[in-house]
Amino acid sequence: MKTWVAALLYAVLSAITVVVCFPLLWAISTSLKPKSEIFRWPPTLWPENITFESYRELLFGGAVASAPGAGVPPSAYFLDWFANSVIVSVGSTAISITIATLAAYSLTRFRFWGQRAVPYIAILGYMVPSVIFVFPMFLTMVSLDLTDTLLSLILGYVCITLPFCLWLMWAFFRGVPIEIEEAALVDGASRLQVFRQVVLPVALPGIIAASIFSLIVSWNDYLFGRVFMNSMENLPLTVGVMHFFDGTHVDWGLMMASSVLMTLPMAILFGFMQRHLVAGFGAGAVKG
Amino acid sequence: MTDVVVRGLSKSFGSNNVLKALDLLVPSRQFVTLLGPSGCGKTTLLRLIAGLERGNGGEILFGENRVDHLPPGERNIAMVFQSYALYPTMDVARNIGYGLEVRRIPKPERSEKISTVAKVLEIGHLLLRKPKQLSGGQRQRVALGRAMARRPDIFLMDEPLSNLDAKLRSAMRGELRRFHLDLGTTTIYVTHDQLEAMTMSDLVVVMNEGIVQQIGTPEEVYSKPANLFVAGFIGTPPMNLFPATNSDGFLKVANTTLPIQISSDLPRELVIGIRPQEVSVVSTGEPGAIPGKVWMVELIGSERLIEVEIAPKLRITAEVRAKHRAAIDDHVAVRLDPTHLHIFDPVTGKALSA
Ligand SMILES: Nc1ncnc2c1ncn2[C@@H]1O[C@H](COP(=O)(O)OP(=O)(O)O)[C@@H](O)[C@H]1O
Ligand SMILES: [Mg+2]
Repeated sequence: MKTWVAALLYAVLSAITVVVCFPLLWAISTSLKPKSEIFRWPPTLWPENITFESYRELLFGGAVASAPGAGVPPSAYFLDWFANSVIVSVGSTAISITIATLAAYSLTRFRFWGQRAVPYIAILGYMVPSVIFVFPMFLTMVSLDLTDTLLSLILGYVCITLPFCLWLMWAFFRGVPIEIEEAALVDGASRLQVFRQVVLPVALPGIIAASIFSLIVSWNDYLFGRVFMNSMENLPLTVGVMHFFDGTHVDWGLMMASSVLMTLPMAILFGFMQRHLVAGFGAGAVKG
Repeated sequence: MTDVVVRGLSKSFGSNNVLKALDLLVPSRQFVTLLGPSGCGKTTLLRLIAGLERGNGGEILFGENRVDHLPPGERNIAMVFQSYALYPTMDVARNIGYGLEVRRIPKPERSEKISTVAKVLEIGHLLLRKPKQLSGGQRQRVALGRAMARRPDIFLMDEPLSNLDAKLRSAMRGELRRFHLDLGTTTIYVTHDQLEAMTMSDLVVVMNEGIVQQIGTPEEVYSKPANLFVAGFIGTPPMNLFPATNSDGFLKVANTTLPIQISSDLPRELVIGIRPQEVSVVSTGEPGAIPGKVWMVELIGSERLIEVEIAPKLRITAEVRAKHRAAIDDHVAVRLDPTHLHIFDPVTGKALSA
C-alpha cells in the first residue's frame, strides 16, 4: 500500500475513534469532577481536581444515614440496581443459551415436519421491534402476577434474545460435520458423551458469541425495565439511574459515574471474549 | 474370528431402493473391497454394517451373532471416514485414544496404546497438535490410528485415500496393505477406484445399483467377469464389448466369420468381450482378421491405443507397443485372441461359456 493511502486511512480511523470514544471519555471525566467544576464555563476537558465523591456515594451511599425526613436518596439503591441487572442478564442469558443450543442442535440433526422453517420464523420474530410486544407481554405478566419481579424481566429478555441466539447457534451447528459425531458413536461414546465431549466444545465459540449478544441486549435494555418494574429496589440499572434526574435538576456526577460503572462489566467481558466473538460470528468456519 | 455375513439386506431412502436384498460373505481376516461406481450404495452398505444406518430388511451377522440391532459402539468395529472426521477440538493423542477413553481404559494403558499406534504410523511428533494443524496425509494417518488403537474386530474404511494427492495415495495403498498383513483384522474397504481394489484386496465385491455383481479375487473379476457390467467396469482401457452372431458354431463379427469355434448351443445373438491387450492390429487380407479403418490413435506411455472401425459405429480398440505406427484412415485388420474371448448373453448380460 502506498504511504499516503495508509496515512489517509489512519487519519480517518483516528477521527472515527475519537468521535466514538469521546462520549465515554467525557463521561469518565465528568464522573471525576467535583460538583463545582461540572458546570464551569469554558468546560475543562480533564478535571483540575480529581474526586471520587460520586463513586463513593454510589458504592457506599447505602451505608450513609440520610438526613432525617429527607427520605432515602436514589444513590442508596445503586448496588441493588447493579445486582438486579446482573441477575436478570445472566439469568435470561443462561435460559436463552440453553434453549437455543438444544433447539438449534435438534434442528440440524433430527428430521421433523417444519424443521427448515423454524430458524427463519425465529429470525423474523427477532426483526419485530420489541416495543410492539412489550405491552402485550406486560398484560401477560399482570395476569401471571409477575409484574415488579426480576422473573418478569428474565422472561421478557428471553423472548427478545432467544430468536437471534437460536439463529446463531443453528448457523453454527450446520457447519459441524455429522461425521465427527458418527465417529464418536463408532468409538463407543453414548449420545450424551457425543454431545458433551464432541459437539459442545466445537460449538463453544458460537455459544460465547450468542451469550455476549444476549448479555448486552438484556444489560442495556430500558424499555422492559421501565414497563415491568415499579419498586425502587427492583429496578435494573438502566431504569434506576434515571432517578438521578429528579424533575428539575440532573446530578451529572452520579449519572456519569453510573454510566462508567455500567459500561465496565461489558467492556471487561468484551476484552476477554473478543477472540471467540470473531470466530463465533464467522459461524460455519469450523472445518476439521 | 469374525466373518461378516450379510443376508437379504435392503435399504431404501424414500422411494430410492439403494440396496436390494443384498447377500455378502466377508471371510475372517480378509481384506475385502466394495468396488462400484459412485452412487451404487457402497457407503450405505458400510454404514449399515457399522450400525450408523438401519436396514429395511435382512440381517447382518458378525460370526454367529446378529448385530443389526446393536448400536455402533457395541459392534467393536472401527471406521475410517472419507472426510477423516477427526474431533476438531481434541489433539491428536486424544483423537486416537478417545475410543479407549469412553471405554474407561486407565490412562497409563491408554497412553501406551496411543504411543504404540503413533510409532507404527510415524506420527509420534504430532501427538499434541490439533487436526487443523495437520496436512491431509497426516490427518489420514490420525484417522487410521484412531481406528487401530482400539484393536477392533473389523475395520470399515470409506474411500480413505480419495482426498490425498496421487503420489501419497499410491504410497498409502502399500502401507494399508502392509498394516492389514501385520494386524490381520477383517477389513471392508470401499472404493470406486479399481486400481485400489485390484492392488490391495483379497476379495473384490463388484457392486452396481445396490446389487452385488460379482465376488472374487482381483484376478477372477479381471479375467472371468461374471457379467457385462463387471466386464465393462474392470480394466483400463475398458474391455471391447460388441455384438456378434453364432453362425453354425462359428463366431461372426461385422460380416466376417472368424475361425473361432463356439458351442452351437449358444444363442444366435451374442455379445463378445475382449480386452484391448488381446487384440492385435495386422495388415488387411490376413486370414481370420476383421478388416477396418483406423479411427483414432492415442499414445499412452509405452503403449499405443489404436481404435479400428470395423463397421459403421462399431469400433474395436487394440493396445499395441508404442513403436507400432498407424495413421488415421489406414486400412488395417484386427485379430482377436480366441483364448481371451468372453461371451455374454445380450439379454441377461450373464457370461456364457464358449
Ligand atoms: N441419507 C440419505 N438420504 C437419502 N438418500 C441417500 C442417503 N444416503 C445415500 N442416499 C442415496 O443412496 C444412493 C447410494 O449412496 P451411497 O451409498 O453413498 O453410494 P456410494 O457410496 O456407492 O457412492 C445414492 O443415490 C444416494 O443419493
Ligand atoms: Mg460413498
